[in-house]
Amino acid sequence: MKRILIILLTICVASSCSDDFTDLAPISNRNEADFFNNEGDFIVSLNASYAGLQDNGVYGRAYWTMFEMRGDNTDQGPDATGLARVFTEINAFTEDPLNEQIDAAWSGSYRVIANCNVILDRIGSANVEEGLQNRIIGEALFLRSLMYYHLAIAFGNIPLQLTPFVPGDDLVQVDAATVYGQLVTDLETAESNLPISYPASDVGRATRGAAATLLAKVLLTIGQDGQAEIVLRRIVDQYGYQLLPNYADLWGAENENNAESIFEVQFISGGIGQGSAYTNDFSPSAILQTGQGFGRNRPTASMQNAYVTGDLRFEASMDTTWIDTDDVVVVQNFVTKYVSDPPIENDSDINFVVFRYADVLLMLAEALGESQESYDLINQVRARAGLTGIDATTPGTFEEKLLDERQVELAFENHRWPDLLRFGTVVEKLTEAEPDVINPASIRTLFFIPQRELDINPNFIQNE
Amino acid sequence: MKNYSTNTGAKRLIKLVLMCFLFMNFTPLKADVKCAQNDHITVDFKNMELKQVFNWITQQVGYNFFYEASEIDIEKKVSIQATDTCIEDFLVKLFSKIELDHRIVAKQVVVKPQRIDNFVPKAKVKTKPSPNNPQQATLTGTIVDDAGIPLPGASIVAKGSQIGTTSDFDGNFELNLPEGTTAIIVSYIGFRTQEVDVQGQTSVSITMEPDAASLDEVVVVGYGTLAKKRVTGSVISIDSETIVEVPALSPEAAIIGQVAGVQVQEVSGEPGAAPNIRVRGSGSISAGNDPLFVIDGIPISRNLTTSVIGGVSRRRASFQPPPVNPLATLNPNDIASIEVLKDASAAAIYGSRGGNGVLLITTKKGAASETGRFSFDSFFSIQNVANKLDLMNAPELIDFTRDARNNNYLSSVDGASIDDPIGPGDRGDALFELPESFINWDGTDTDWQDVIFQTGITQSYNFSYASPTTNKTSFFASAGYFTQEGILDKSSFDRYSLLLNLNSQLTEKLNLDLRIAPTITENQRIPSSAPYFARPPGVVYSAIVHSPTVNPFNPDGTINQLNNQSFLGGGTTTASNPLAIIEAVDDEIFQFQNRASLALSYEIIPELTFRTFGGMYLNLFNQDFFRGNSLLFRNSTEGESYAQATSSTEVNWLWENTLNWEKEFGDHYLNAVLGYTAQRDNITIKEVLADNFPDDLVTTISGGQVFAGNSIEEQWSLASALFRLNYSYKDKYLFTGTIRSDRSSRFGANNQTGYFPSFSVGWRLNEEEFLQSVEAISELKFRFSWGETGNFEIPNYGAIGLLSPDNYNLSGNEVNGLVQSTIPNPELTWERSEQINLGMELGLFNNRLFLLADYYNTKTSDLLLNVAISGVSGFQTTLQNLGEVENKGFELALRTKNFVGDFSWDTDINFSTNQNEVLSLNENNEPIFSAGSAGVRHVTRVGDPIGSYFGYIVDGIYQSQEEIDNAPFDTQAPNPAPGDFRFRDVDGDGEITPDDRTVTGNYFPDFTWGINNRFSYKGIDFSFLIQGVEGNEILNLTSRHLKNGEANFNSYAVFNNRWRSPSEPGNGSIPRADRQTGNHGNNNRPSSFQVEDGSFIRLRNITLGYTLPADKIFGDSIDRLRVYVTGTNLFTITDYLGYNPEVSNISTNSLTPGEDYGAFPLTKNFTMGINLSF
Repeated sequence: MKRILIILLTICVASSCSDDFTDLAPISNRNEADFFNNEGDFIVSLNASYAGLQDNGVYGRAYWTMFEMRGDNTDQGPDATGLARVFTEINAFTEDPLNEQIDAAWSGSYRVIANCNVILDRIGSANVEEGLQNRIIGEALFLRSLMYYHLAIAFGNIPLQLTPFVPGDDLVQVDAATVYGQLVTDLETAESNLPISYPASDVGRATRGAAATLLAKVLLTIGQDGQAEIVLRRIVDQYGYQLLPNYADLWGAENENNAESIFEVQFISGGIGQGSAYTNDFSPSAILQTGQGFGRNRPTASMQNAYVTGDLRFEASMDTTWIDTDDVVVVQNFVTKYVSDPPIENDSDINFVVFRYADVLLMLAEALGESQESYDLINQVRARAGLTGIDATTPGTFEEKLLDERQVELAFENHRWPDLLRFGTVVEKLTEAEPDVINPASIRTLFFIPQRELDINPNFIQNE
Repeated sequence: MKNYSTNTGAKRLIKLVLMCFLFMNFTPLKADVKCAQNDHITVDFKNMELKQVFNWITQQVGYNFFYEASEIDIEKKVSIQATDTCIEDFLVKLFSKIELDHRIVAKQVVVKPQRIDNFVPKAKVKTKPSPNNPQQATLTGTIVDDAGIPLPGASIVAKGSQIGTTSDFDGNFELNLPEGTTAIIVSYIGFRTQEVDVQGQTSVSITMEPDAASLDEVVVVGYGTLAKKRVTGSVISIDSETIVEVPALSPEAAIIGQVAGVQVQEVSGEPGAAPNIRVRGSGSISAGNDPLFVIDGIPISRNLTTSVIGGVSRRRASFQPPPVNPLATLNPNDIASIEVLKDASAAAIYGSRGGNGVLLITTKKGAASETGRFSFDSFFSIQNVANKLDLMNAPELIDFTRDARNNNYLSSVDGASIDDPIGPGDRGDALFELPESFINWDGTDTDWQDVIFQTGITQSYNFSYASPTTNKTSFFASAGYFTQEGILDKSSFDRYSLLLNLNSQLTEKLNLDLRIAPTITENQRIPSSAPYFARPPGVVYSAIVHSPTVNPFNPDGTINQLNNQSFLGGGTTTASNPLAIIEAVDDEIFQFQNRASLALSYEIIPELTFRTFGGMYLNLFNQDFFRGNSLLFRNSTEGESYAQATSSTEVNWLWENTLNWEKEFGDHYLNAVLGYTAQRDNITIKEVLADNFPDDLVTTISGGQVFAGNSIEEQWSLASALFRLNYSYKDKYLFTGTIRSDRSSRFGANNQTGYFPSFSVGWRLNEEEFLQSVEAISELKFRFSWGETGNFEIPNYGAIGLLSPDNYNLSGNEVNGLVQSTIPNPELTWERSEQINLGMELGLFNNRLFLLADYYNTKTSDLLLNVAISGVSGFQTTLQNLGEVENKGFELALRTKNFVGDFSWDTDINFSTNQNEVLSLNENNEPIFSAGSAGVRHVTRVGDPIGSYFGYIVDGIYQSQEEIDNAPFDTQAPNPAPGDFRFRDVDGDGEITPDDRTVTGNYFPDFTWGINNRFSYKGIDFSFLIQGVEGNEILNLTSRHLKNGEANFNSYAVFNNRWRSPSEPGNGSIPRADRQTGNHGNNNRPSSFQVEDGSFIRLRNITLGYTLPADKIFGDSIDRLRVYVTGTNLFTITDYLGYNPEVSNISTNSLTPGEDYGAFPLTKNFTMGINLSF
């Protein structure tokens, strides 16, 4: 018996009695405690920041609801019932602070920001070759700025978190101007750190042009048109972008990352979670054989009318009818820029174009104000659309003409809501386009801060 | 009161078995049983204490001694010799030497003082009529126990004389009564002594009633057993007969409605689906609320990762089928007892896992008898859906749809009138139109529920053998086969189980206990518990939304997929044909599970036993899911194939070492257990996904294109030390104290070890002198306990900051991305539940009436809470120990023996309440809003139960425009009209805004109750169990579609009573029909209208059995033959509109309980069965 006890005791000490017995590290996941050692760690972490752009809370869905459908270009149609009402509410300004889309946008954007903050915090002390280190810093600053730009546009007063968040830290709201000020600094760094282009295997990463375009947009937003002009001229003169000859060639899986494209959120199909859902979201149901079209983000009548006869962009951008399974023609507008062929269920090989050169040209015109050079810039874009040029004699103010051009050129690309804000025409345009749906008194320029954030941070002030 | 003891306390467990044995197994024994070879002994005792002699015999030849401690001097010294003597002869010699009487019943030796001087055993000498007593009469009779089984060896004495006899092996006796005898005194150990009037009788039949207080019944308490009378915690024991009373797949069905404080909710009727088991409510918000199951000493705590197992990757988390029932591997026939440790004092011995209560399940052992016993149990059951929903028929639906379209037109178009020349149907707006097939209805009126439900068949066969003890070894072996076809075509469950429990006394001091229980289960599931738009769609939901105007089949007999609900047009919503779903989806789960354990007990000295126990649980899981091309999803014209193959291996091992010291000296009883245990669990999961199957001919992964795969491995471990002390003085004052320390790998590095203390005290007043004289009171015990237990049901690496893949793509190629997915929390530790329990046990009239009452209050603090943190952090939640939840309630259990004797009637009544309240949450006590299957509809906030329903409150129906104008402005109703709901302005700010949403009900019942009645007369037994649940509410999400007033597909028939006009206001609770209510009154917003009362009263079980007089028909070859018929869930009285008032779709999430989104309905069963033993 004594012998048995000794054996048992030995086994006990050797195995379960020791502290190691309950010290179990994860096997199928990496542990953050021993990550961020080498450049590979930073690259995969950075990749996840890009991946964050695909999320439903960012370009996946919430951004088009808040930056396109919120404006006058599109609506949700009259027939949304059930859960689709969260979209209707955003369109009609009847959403409340619990709306899932704005909540998703807030958390989705900050998720990318938080990941970039960790990268920027850790890279200084890591052993990464300097050139690559600068590039990583540039990419992280660009992605963080892209998110902050959208948050500032949407919510105005937001916490400007630039370091990794530690639970328990106090958060303070700052006004949008403070955010934009930070973005100008960060984007200037990013522009100088980033390369103009990448080798083929890295196409899709943020470039110098992408940082500059966002910088220009921020400068225009804060009214520093002169500064914006400098940046925009740099893009035009130095970064090698050009308009594609044919507007329709901008869209479709085979035309991605083209000469006009400055930054795109990358999607590929193949059932690996890298596909986009735009085709499903924007198409009427029967367009897809799988029956999963939701018919969201529908061009309004006023959007349809914004295209003048002969505008080649119309057919490349939207359609007005579709044929249902009973071969009945249904009259209903829908966006066609993002239709994949063949349609694949929530898994399309369709990128989202965040910035492209036409926007740069129109922004430069905006920065310059009314001038011949501005009309020339606008007319470059118009010419490609098969339209004749405009000039000072064309009816309307310069701003009106420029805004109208931006509406049709950049339709359904999430530019409309920021444009309406920048041009100060929100109420006017919305009342004109969607009088049945929108009560002018309820129009707000800022979204509600998600109720969740107010609950967690009682010192936060809700937007009126 | 009498105080019976055995020679060694360690044998107490045997007593329970003994009593069973005495009742059941005596008959076949004959007096001339031969002495087995191994029962011969050779001894030479010199001046040895009697109890040591008993001990020696018990250990050597397995004979146990029963005696009344006050009557026998067990310290008396004896000297005796024997050489190769049969033990029974030896005992005769022994007891005659020390002038004691004894009686041997199958190795159980009952020792009594020789108090009847002229005791004349019938077998030896017939009492001759005495010449000076010419009037002497002969009395014959039979003595049986309360189950009607003859009692041999009962003592019968003529009152007032010394004349007596004992009953023979068939319980018969014959006694010559002296003149003037009016009564006889009948006594038997373990039964209440009776005085029976025999005046003028020559033959009597006497039924003895068990003396429950003296039974010394033993209960399993974890790491040991304890005499029931000494238990101070709240422990409920369920015996094997109760467990098989309701023929069912798994043992927890026996607990339904039977145990106060334990709620078993059948959330789904799917074969093999796990029920919700809650012991005294839910204390946890983010961690699990399941009790800990300990099966034959092996704690099976749910691995949270395994809840993922069985899921289908392409299905939303909230639409997953219910988890596979871990108890479905247990064959109810193999179970000897289930003990529920309810209070902290009882559960604290399981420390960090005891917070939700503990269920100890013990399987059967070999018989402690000389003959083996074969049993064959089988039943055959037919099942049908327990109830059908009351849905609209075709004419009702057409009328409703017309109404909804017209009202939409009137509310949507300014100044519209129903008589407009261009009416609603001619405006090219589908939402104003009536489907063409409704306008020209062809008479089709399909009952879609009849289309999908079938009669299910269940068969169960179980064969077992309890061996006798030979060579000091006994075993129990069993083989079982269970097969069930569900009430939905294709759904099925099969189980093949084997069990071997072997016990051997290897040497005088060393005992070996080996248990092996391999089980194979095969489960074919079909999609339910999901709405019509899930992928794949829920079968039940797709059926009930389907319009009755649609024919399920095409004229050629094929399933109608291209002309069904999806193609009605006219503003209806699409849905797939449920038959096509059943046909196209395969979801097969194969599991091989094995429990195995080996225990060695070594008796160091008689009082001290060392036990080492090694246990292992193995689960090999295999799932093949396939969704074929043949299913056209809603209005798709092409199928979409998808397959998933998942396999997992889980190995859980356990090693326990315990020292048990038990001693009784004088009035003191002490029992101490000291132990050290280690447990470890390893699980690996592998998963492969494929799609693009060219056809449905090959349904495994190989038939399609593989597009993804996964391999996950996880571990957890737990190292613990435990100590328990039981002390009782004169069996009057009782004390139990326990402490356990647990070190768990799941917790933060700085906080892995926890200590869980508890104590409890008991006072048996019936042992006090002042109550001794009160004969009516046979048992009166007060109990108080306090203790702390824990909960470690969190993810395996919950304290560690994990990085998870979040890949991107560049240049058309996927590139690796990793993002931190959890925030590390090195301080993370277990949840702590502090519970007090006050209990009383009262037995009256020899326990013919027994009342058990408990009050408890549990405060669960340091909740393992996924605390919401600012999205600015990049995370949504972080797992922290924060917040407090209280559960408190009363439990009453009353057991009465209304009639005893030939006709017997027992009644068990139980009643329990539980009140769940969140006391605090995170720092600001901000409510937690939770999205279940359909958006945010639950709130967990301070002052309300966990996961309360959240929404607007319906305050009636607007009857006029004037009423609308005067009501608070409803910001959520763009254009209300008379007939629309009036919602309550909860915050009184004069407007209906989202701030007016509030708690609209919860899933927790106010109280639950059950009444079980058992009758028996001769061989006939009859029982019925009625179960009730009161005050629970169900969030009926099917209302979103079937009660939305939009007539976008079929509807609950309650909408026939809708508001139509001020003069036809309906029943006052149903609003008007309106296809686009979202644009008008917005009646379908989350509100109290979708929360329904789930209270119910159910005839849970009704059984009629007949035990054939087997001995008369078959002679000795058959012990018992019983045939029975049982009805289960025959009817349920409830106001709930859905199938099952206990439904909870997302049973794995405590924050979103009680949702009904197309769950698999419950069944009612008719069963015929047979119990045979020989």
